[in-house]
Amino acid sequence: MPDTDVIVEMRHITKRFPGIVANDDISLQIRQGEIFAFAGENGAGKSTLMSILFGMYQPDEGEILIRGRQVDISSPNEAVALGISMVHQHFKLVHNYTVAENIVLGIEPATRLLGLIPYVNMRPVNKVIRELSERYGLEVDPSAVIEDLPVSTQQRVEILKMLYREAEILIFDEPTAMLTPQEITYLLDIIRKLRDDGKTIILITHKLEEIKQVADRCAILNHGKLIATMDVATSSTRDMASKMVGREVIFEIDKELARPGEVVLDVQGLTIENEHHVDVTQDVSFKIHAGEIFAIAGVAGSGQVELADAIAGLSAVKTGKILLEDCDITHTLVRPRTLKGISYIPEDRQDVGLILDFLLEDNLASKAYFRAPFSRRSILQRNAFDSYADDLIRRYDIRCSSGALTMTRSMSGGNQQKAIVAREVEQDAQLMIFVQPTRGLDIGAILSIRRRMIEERDKGRAILLVSLELDEIMAVADTIGVMFAGRMIKIAPADQMTLDEVGEYMMGVKQS
Amino acid sequence: MSGRDPRWDVGPDALKKISEPGGKCDDPVAPPSQDPPNPAPSAPDDGAVQVQLNWFLRAFGNERWQFITIPLLSILVSLIAISIIVGVMGSNPINVFITFLQGAGWIMKPVYAGGFGMLSDLSNTLAAFTPMLFAALAVTIAFRGGLFNIGISGQMLISGFLASVIVGYSGLSSFVAKPLVLLIGIVTGAAIGALIGFLKYRFNINEVVASIMLNYILQYAVSYFINTRYLDQISRQSRVVSPASTLVLSGIYNSKTHQLMVSNSLPSVLKLGDIQFLVPICFVLAIVLAIALQFFLKKTRLGYEIKAVGANRRGAHYSGIRVKRTILVTMMLSGALAGLAGVSYYLGYFNSIQPDTLTSLGFDSIATALLGAAHPIGNIASSFLITTLDTGGTYMQSMMGVRQEIAQLVTGLILLFSACSAFFRWRIAISRQKAEMRAYEAAEHDVDTDLVASSQGGDAA
Repeated sequence: MPDTDVIVEMRHITKRFPGIVANDDISLQIRQGEIFAFAGENGAGKSTLMSILFGMYQPDEGEILIRGRQVDISSPNEAVALGISMVHQHFKLVHNYTVAENIVLGIEPATRLLGLIPYVNMRPVNKVIRELSERYGLEVDPSAVIEDLPVSTQQRVEILKMLYREAEILIFDEPTAMLTPQEITYLLDIIRKLRDDGKTIILITHKLEEIKQVADRCAILNHGKLIATMDVATSSTRDMASKMVGREVIFEIDKELARPGEVVLDVQGLTIENEHHVDVTQDVSFKIHAGEIFAIAGVAGSGQVELADAIAGLSAVKTGKILLEDCDITHTLVRPRTLKGISYIPEDRQDVGLILDFLLEDNLASKAYFRAPFSRRSILQRNAFDSYADDLIRRYDIRCSSGALTMTRSMSGGNQQKAIVAREVEQDAQLMIFVQPTRGLDIGAILSIRRRMIEERDKGRAILLVSLELDEIMAVADTIGVMFAGRMIKIAPADQMTLDEVGEYMMGVKQS
Repeated sequence: MSGRDPRWDVGPDALKKISEPGGKCDDPVAPPSQDPPNPAPSAPDDGAVQVQLNWFLRAFGNERWQFITIPLLSILVSLIAISIIVGVMGSNPINVFITFLQGAGWIMKPVYAGGFGMLSDLSNTLAAFTPMLFAALAVTIAFRGGLFNIGISGQMLISGFLASVIVGYSGLSSFVAKPLVLLIGIVTGAAIGALIGFLKYRFNINEVVASIMLNYILQYAVSYFINTRYLDQISRQSRVVSPASTLVLSGIYNSKTHQLMVSNSLPSVLKLGDIQFLVPICFVLAIVLAIALQFFLKKTRLGYEIKAVGANRRGAHYSGIRVKRTILVTMMLSGALAGLAGVSYYLGYFNSIQPDTLTSLGFDSIATALLGAAHPIGNIASSFLITTLDTGGTYMQSMMGVRQEIAQLVTGLILLFSACSAFFRWRIAISRQKAEMRAYEAAEHDVDTDLVASSQGGDAA
């Protein structure tokens, strides 16, 4: 392979964050005019690597060569000057500006009216954008206002922004995460067209089918290490999936066999739509028994979080039924569900799980403040708050500077999470929903939460665990349900599925 | 960026522990070593870092006392600004402040006109204070519930108008009339507040827009009725309400005989040594309500819910609080307080309504509430200050020979700086963070790179 073909070369890139090596000695070459994909699970280090290329992070070690020349990319501006552009997962557009205005933002074509008054002449810009849009089949109207456009069109505006700035290397960070299947097909077509026009495309994704569809080559990362760089045409998805999931150290937890009892939660044909009226889950059905840990596996955005929200009553259900101990709770409010016996550790602990500007004791009692002993005749009993909080702080090892009266915002994320876990476990609910319960915790805390889940199971509770970490699911689950693109595609006892199999279902490689 | 590695969350936590110690570094109550070191494997151990803050940050940086210290800072800054302006105009700032206090009845004036005394001035200030405190409390409760009731003036006007029409022109005896006026004020204000809350509840209409628009509607509707039915042809205001219906009593104190007389209306002839004064009936009610509101917010179930909705609607919804219903209730309570402000203003401080105008008190009360740090007890202090400036201003300008505009400028400046209190708070937080960062870096300069990385990791997560 002649060296002139290589447009991006990374040599021995290492990037460390506290407690983790995000990129560990990664060397690779990306050729001019190819679609190069990065695959890996959440947290494998692909986004970090591309953020380094885009100048958002500086590598601790290693060097980057663009078009054969060593460069020091210390900011995104320098990356843009080198012809590198990135479409972020969350678009950076001004909502009340038109498409064209957004595209020229920062490089407005200023001219002077009558040689005096500076103004921005949008007419030539509109023409250029229209031409670019037609050339790549983007179908974007330059005079449309961003907030009137659907997500997929906004994404194409971001692509136009890159093209307008004459970028040669286009980085797409999880571009399909928010798109419907038809939109994904359309986007992949556009990406192909861009490649055929000589652009170099870098695609970050954890969806192997997309890589299989469009990419020429693919680098697989796992835990910060480059596992392999493969030619997509000659590799099987199964092979890629196994490399991607890799072998992880599973925390060993002693666990007796589950003794499932009565059905506690019965979900029947649940379809949930989000605020954009897109179905995020489709016809999901499953049952959880007393004394059973039911874990939902799936890549981020497969609908599992929305499912948990709907069961807890935070979001509405479009069709289907939720039964808790034979009682239809599909349309009841949050509070009655809590009282009936649902506890919920939500994914977003700072915006949902806690009220950060409340005292720790107020947060610890936030699901019980309205009843005795916390409240008598509508008057809050502060003593009860204090003693309850002190008890939980001690038993759950919550570290806080001023005890029960600590402002929750000032606590570390790990201790905030412990506070939520303490509050939810203490509710003694028949059904416990844990979404990413160990995210951001240290190993000791992770093990103690996993042990507690099993303890609660042994007490006869039904537990729904949603986790993005396969090793967590493999470690504690009795039954595993795998969600893919909003559907529950596989439900099986945990001991009948291997890690690799779950991974394959998660990636959509294997369908039952 | 999508790199949402759960393990990275250690990063921002580590940073947060340094930047937001939550009173750990500056709080004299909690020794710094009380917090055990972070158990996360690589997060920097910050327990040992002692931070020396300068006197300014020590005085104003403690979040627990900021509801007092920040307003004091606002007032201090505005007093300095006023002194400079007054000084440039050639007057002695100290004298200006003294005449303000004299005019408001806090200090004895050198000379009084016949029938007047310090008691007259002070009682007048208290009569002006009463609607201001009610209005500030109305803003405060909405604020704590995460809402902005900018329609206090309109709610005051309609309450005052209805109370005037129903009771003020009725000839009911004072034992029936006065409670009825209060009741009408509460009910009318609550109804308007509930309407705004309902528009938000049902149609998700922003309460700011709804209350501003209602201000206009109420202003012109009330003006129409006053101009067509209740106008006093001489004063061009609404007809004066009956003394029995007003929420102030008139009093006469004879400084010679020490006789005290309180009634609904003044006798026409004053004896020698008589000093007239007002007894604002609702003054005590306003103070009691401020204390009650503080208790309500701190110690009751509904107060907890209102604060939860105000602090984090998603979090409140998750806890099982019915967010929209709470918003409706909050607006209703805010409206009821505004209604009380209305009746104590139009049937107390005044006894008629000027058509085609909204009182500026309704808008000033927003700044007053801010100056009081949206804290009911703080509102008592800030309302005293603002009404003192208001009622003392007339005397100040006549004594100091400065123009009337200057007197209003003083009030304006204090309100302006009180509106800046959020900015002060933010600046103080920033400089405190910087001081702590510097101290931290000095202590452990080798974790410097990790800090930067973790802050970026925080963006990623």
